[in-house]
Amino acid sequence: MDDEASRILKGFFPNIDFTKEEERYFKSLWSIKTFDQYDLITEAGKIERCFYIVLDGVQAIYLLNERGEKVVLGFSYSGSPSGAFDSFIQQTPSKTFLEALKPSKLLAISRSDYDSIFKKHPRFYTWGHHFFQDILFGRLSREVELLTLTAEQRYVAFMQRCPDELKVIPQKYLASYLNMKPETFSRLRASVSY
Amino acid sequence: MAQLLLTPENHIQRLNAILNKVDQLQNLGLPSLTTPPNSKSWNILEVLVHLNIAYGHYQQKFNQHIPKLPDNKSENEGFRIRRWQKLVVDSQRPKEGVRKWKMKTLKKFEPLLDHNQLNHEKAEEIFKTFFELHNHLKEAVLLCRKKEVSQLKIPSAIGPIVLFYLPEAFEFLICHLERHMVQIDEILQQQDSLVSP
Repeated sequence: MDDEASRILKGFFPNIDFTKEEERYFKSLWSIKTFDQYDLITEAGKIERCFYIVLDGVQAIYLLNERGEKVVLGFSYSGSPSGAFDSFIQQTPSKTFLEALKPSKLLAISRSDYDSIFKKHPRFYTWGHHFFQDILFGRLSREVELLTLTAEQRYVAFMQRCPDELKVIPQKYLASYLNMKPETFSRLRASVSY
Repeated sequence: MAQLLLTPENHIQRLNAILNKVDQLQNLGLPSLTTPPNSKSWNILEVLVHLNIAYGHYQQKFNQHIPKLPDNKSENEGFRIRRWQKLVVDSQRPKEGVRKWKMKTLKKFEPLLDHNQLNHEKAEEIFKTFFELHNHLKEAVLLCRKKEVSQLKIPSAIGPIVLFYLPEAFEFLICHLERHMVQIDEILQQQDSLVSP
């Protein structure tokens, strides 16, 4: 693992102090996986085998509606977690796809190694508590936005907080995430400043 | 008639569901796998052998043609199935868990299994072949996500009377698989009804 990957990994677990030996072991549990643009990282119907931390690239998590269209639930990007968490935790077939929208490099840990770090280092439970709390608050906030804001307000709120690397992915993914038609997204992009 | 949009993601999701289902069938005992609902019908292993035979035709064609297709320059946006091909595909597609039209199987697709030779080893071999072939189908779908698929038509297994673009062939094969998954459910239901009072 190079210095940059090591820095991102450490940044993801900010409050965990390791001895040198523990850190070496911890790092050894992670492997680097690379994906080309449009590769499917996780397929709906397969069990998610890994928990990922993104080193590079942008990924979309989506499911298919009855018409077979992609409905985007979220994105991951440099420094963020990625994967179909429900499938990973429950070890049941995923309902969602995870796709690399840009060439991607991810740090991956298997389910058994993920479990082992909690057993070996109980302080990971505190990390896990905060991690899943953040995920829950993020989803709640998104639900409120989807239910209460107008399309223009959703567009502005999203564009103000999203990192630059997300702004260059195909518009149809951003439009789907914001629950609007690509034409609406395009019109807002041309006419609304944020 | 509305045109159906075929996407590789939809194909992959449905194929994974079928592969998971057949994986579960391996947990059944040999009597469940080898007992037909009546003397004229197939048992579960025969259904799987039929599916293996049906895919054999396409496997060759996919191996022959897919590597030669040019790469797609942009993201795969799906493929609109044509009318005649949709009619053929819909003849296979089960509707709400029911096989609409029952049809006579062509001789070349019949599973010729000797019922006296159906043991655990034979069952394992049939499952192994099923997974090899249908994982090959999934790989073909995945490969074609990044290929220009509108440049090649292949004849269906019944001959050039039906020509398929590759996404149409995938849709046909998956509908055919889904149709026979319904048949397997029917076999299992009939076995249950024989056991339950």
